[in-house]
Amino acid sequence: MSQDLQPGNIGSYPEDNDLKKFIDNRKRGGLLWRLSFQLATLIAILALLALLYNIFNGAFGYVALQNKVDPNALVLAMEEDQMLSSPKTVSSEDDNELVKRIENNPNAIGFFGYAYYNDNTDKLKLVSVEGQTPSRETAESGEYPLARPLFIYSAADVMQENRAIGAFIDYYLTNVNTVIEDVGYFPISDELLNGATTSWSEAVGDQAEALQSYAANPADVSDHDIRISGSSTVYPLTRQMAIQFRRAGFQGGLDLQQTGTTAGFRAFCEDMTADITNASRPITRAESEACGDKKRTPVEFRVGTDALAIAVSSKNTFLENVTKDELRQIFTTAETWSDVNPAWPNEPIERFIPGADSGTLDFFAETVFNRKLPELTESELVKILEANISTGLMRRYEAEKPLAERSQAELVDLVLERVVEQKVVGSWKFTESLFNRTKIEEEVARIPQGELQWRSWISPKFLITPQSSTPELAGVRTALFGTLWVIAITILVALPIGVGAAIYLEEYAVMVANPILRRVNAIIQTNINNLAGVPSIIYGILGLAIFVRAIEPITSGTLFGISDPTTANGRTIISASFTLALLILPLIIINAQEAIRAVPNSLRQAGMGLGATRWQTIWSHVLPNAIPGILTGNILAMSRAIGETAPLVVIGASTFITVDPTSPFSKFTVLPIQIYQWVSRPQPEFRNIAAAAIIVLLILLLTLNASAVILRNRYSRRLS
Amino acid sequence: MSTTGVPTSNGKYALELQDVHCYYGSFRAVKDVNLKLHDKKITAFIGPSGCGKSTVLRALNRMNDLIPGGRVEGRILLRGKNLYDQDVDPVEVRRRIGMVFQKPNPFPKSIFDNIAWGAKINGFKGNMKELVEQSLRSAALWDEVKDKLDQSGLGLSGGQQQRLCIARAIATQPEIILMDEPCSALDPIATLKIEDLMRELVKNYTIVIVTHNMQQAARASDYTAYYLMDRSDRAGELVEYGETDQLFTNPKDKRTEDYITGRFG
Ligand SMILES: Nc1ncnc2c1ncn2[C@@H]1O[C@H](COP(=O)(O)OP(=O)(O)OP(=O)(O)O)[C@@H](O)[C@H]1O
Ligand SMILES: [Mg+2]
Repeated sequence: MSQDLQPGNIGSYPEDNDLKKFIDNRKRGGLLWRLSFQLATLIAILALLALLYNIFNGAFGYVALQNKVDPNALVLAMEEDQMLSSPKTVSSEDDNELVKRIENNPNAIGFFGYAYYNDNTDKLKLVSVEGQTPSRETAESGEYPLARPLFIYSAADVMQENRAIGAFIDYYLTNVNTVIEDVGYFPISDELLNGATTSWSEAVGDQAEALQSYAANPADVSDHDIRISGSSTVYPLTRQMAIQFRRAGFQGGLDLQQTGTTAGFRAFCEDMTADITNASRPITRAESEACGDKKRTPVEFRVGTDALAIAVSSKNTFLENVTKDELRQIFTTAETWSDVNPAWPNEPIERFIPGADSGTLDFFAETVFNRKLPELTESELVKILEANISTGLMRRYEAEKPLAERSQAELVDLVLERVVEQKVVGSWKFTESLFNRTKIEEEVARIPQGELQWRSWISPKFLITPQSSTPELAGVRTALFGTLWVIAITILVALPIGVGAAIYLEEYAVMVANPILRRVNAIIQTNINNLAGVPSIIYGILGLAIFVRAIEPITSGTLFGISDPTTANGRTIISASFTLALLILPLIIINAQEAIRAVPNSLRQAGMGLGATRWQTIWSHVLPNAIPGILTGNILAMSRAIGETAPLVVIGASTFITVDPTSPFSKFTVLPIQIYQWVSRPQPEFRNIAAAAIIVLLILLLTLNASAVILRNRYSRRLS
Repeated sequence: MSTTGVPTSNGKYALELQDVHCYYGSFRAVKDVNLKLHDKKITAFIGPSGCGKSTVLRALNRMNDLIPGGRVEGRILLRGKNLYDQDVDPVEVRRRIGMVFQKPNPFPKSIFDNIAWGAKINGFKGNMKELVEQSLRSAALWDEVKDKLDQSGLGLSGGQQQRLCIARAIATQPEIILMDEPCSALDPIATLKIEDLMRELVKNYTIVIVTHNMQQAARASDYTAYYLMDRSDRAGELVEYGETDQLFTNPKDKRTEDYITGRFG
């Protein structure tokens, strides 16, 4: 070592403690940088998570469905219809007639109010249901399935203001058990009756004594009118009580209607056209809330129990007990007893049922026929369709796809869409749905015919149904096809051109000796680099001018005579693809150039040193080694093209289109445009399907990228 | 014009360089080389680093054309025909004059394909398997790789890769083989193997080899050319050319003597 390189002479390095401190300082600096990089990564991850959360949140959650027609009522009507139209079914208003026909026929079965059975116990055999025999106790407790409670409802202030009402209810509760068995129902236990009386006293408060005296002397409240509405089941009982009340001296107006329980509650709570309403079921929360809105607090009085008896002839030896499902089959589709249960005889079932107008028949149907729409068979669903939609519409559906060939799920959907006319009237995000469930339930309960359902907005159906103006019926099929077409053609156009240009620039342009040509090449290179940064909308304007307008005959397909008759212009898939191809061309060129440049020169020399031509060398050695890099660039370019909206809006992608694109000359829409359009709609449900469409777009993007990555990795592995 | 290249022996020459100047852009890297390469002999190029040995070597099969700005003036005659004439196709030149590079550069392909590719593109018709085997045997590599012909050529050691490149070059059966420091990355044993190989090959081929190894040049070559950079214009020039024995034992030029006796610098 020469003298002047001795450190002491021209300078010095830190030693010992100084060295340690110096190294520590440098490390601290490095740590600071590392922390800031970690922070940046963290922020990026958080932003990504927030984005995904936001999308996911919109794509799943509760929806409130509102039906124009109650699907349960549809099922009921269909089953009732099946019951009434089955062969060997005799319907009669006269219960004695039914009893007479059943008593000597071992294959006969029938049902009627328990009271009628009770009068004919010697001729008939009672059949237990689900192992329960009807009695006052099992009916009252609800253990016997074909039983229901009977109520009357009024309100405290109604009874206080209208003394006739208060008095009539007291009279009712005091005397109901003297008539109820004659009407045909089970009397309730004293315990329940006392409970009803207590409710009455609490409701009328200090007027109790006065009202009780009026009940004993109804003539004194004749200056008031009584309006009663509601259940037709309770009606005969209330009517009996009203008759007796009159007999006891009441002179005022007495208006007694039978409208059905639900209409009765509406008359009482919302319209206030009734002061008392009969009910064969308890009031629902929604009905009660509707009352509360009108400052009426409904008070419930249990007055009796209704039960049906299933009866066969005393000569019948095989039937002791039936389940509800067996009952349904016995009274609808089954033809012989052995159809229902192989242990039973192969004899035709003969059915005897009350008249269609009777409340008994309805009650039987409601209790026994309580299947849900999705549980029905194909033929039953078709029956519902036939009964509810016009023959013209029926014919149209038949032409689209014969109903007999449709699956049960498709038929259910058709019934829901066409007959039930199910609509989404409210939707909640994923987190709301999880944490605010009770509030949502309350809200839905207030919607008439409302129903709460968990819904995944993204579903196989969403993928295969086209666009619709109703969000819950809309799908991304058209946009998905559009995106696939556009991307496929874009890549087919841009990749060969881009790679070709890159090969020229990297392999040939550098060898050009002519200084003018060299300049031209340099200018081209600079321009390509700059083009990568041009805003995409400008490509849209360019595409509009060139592809849509200038070469319209080509892009619309008219030149080849294969244009889509619905679009006689250049706003087609091929215009979009050309525009996007222009857009991603610089990206592909630059990446391919980089990839080609990264191929070691020694390989080119090796190839050409063996006497290969330049192209042979490029084809056999440069390109195969550049392909991984080229594919990486292609992934970036494809991702960019898939998500691009602005240029496609400019060249005129359709915003509402329901027909699948069939050729490069079809009009089209793509996923981002569909998403954009949905997001800008006012109805909140469109934002749910937009979120679902974003997920579809992301999955599509990931799949395409993943396949490119797999391809690339396979290629790289082959090379090493 | 200096005429240091002195033809001797039988007068059969594989290549004749006349007034050759090599340029990289405007920089003249080599000037005024006149040289006659003897047929079926090994000629060694020696000289200090940067004096232009590789440049001259590349000029011989027009590999300089591939370097942007690379240019050769003068005449290089192959059987009387100037390689740099307008009507000469550089592809044909390279097909006749093969090259082994300073750094081993096998293709990232199987060992078999490394050899077969050159044969294929040059239109070889015949038994490819035998050609591959024969080339690998000639390059003294066959025994080491015969069981893994389908494995990547990159999986071989540096010395094996270099021999693979030699096998690849001789598989196309050129007239002349140019080797640029083929042994710079090899251990003494592998080096000797390559030298034996060259002795074997020279029966059929003319070989030009660039080397920094004086013993190698003395041992293995028949003729030696000594280049040196002219300090005045930084261009390399041919100082002395002659039979190896004579050049090493009795150099005519003082500069050659300094270099071979290690007094250079
Ligand atoms: N591709 C190139 N572009 C420009 N100049 C080059 C290029 N290759 C070589 N040179 C220059 O040409 C001169 C001769 O280089 P060359 O590679 O022929 O030397 P060499 O004798 O082979 O040296 P070494 O023994 O170190 O390999 C050097 O000055 C070098 O810098
Ligand atoms: Mg060199």
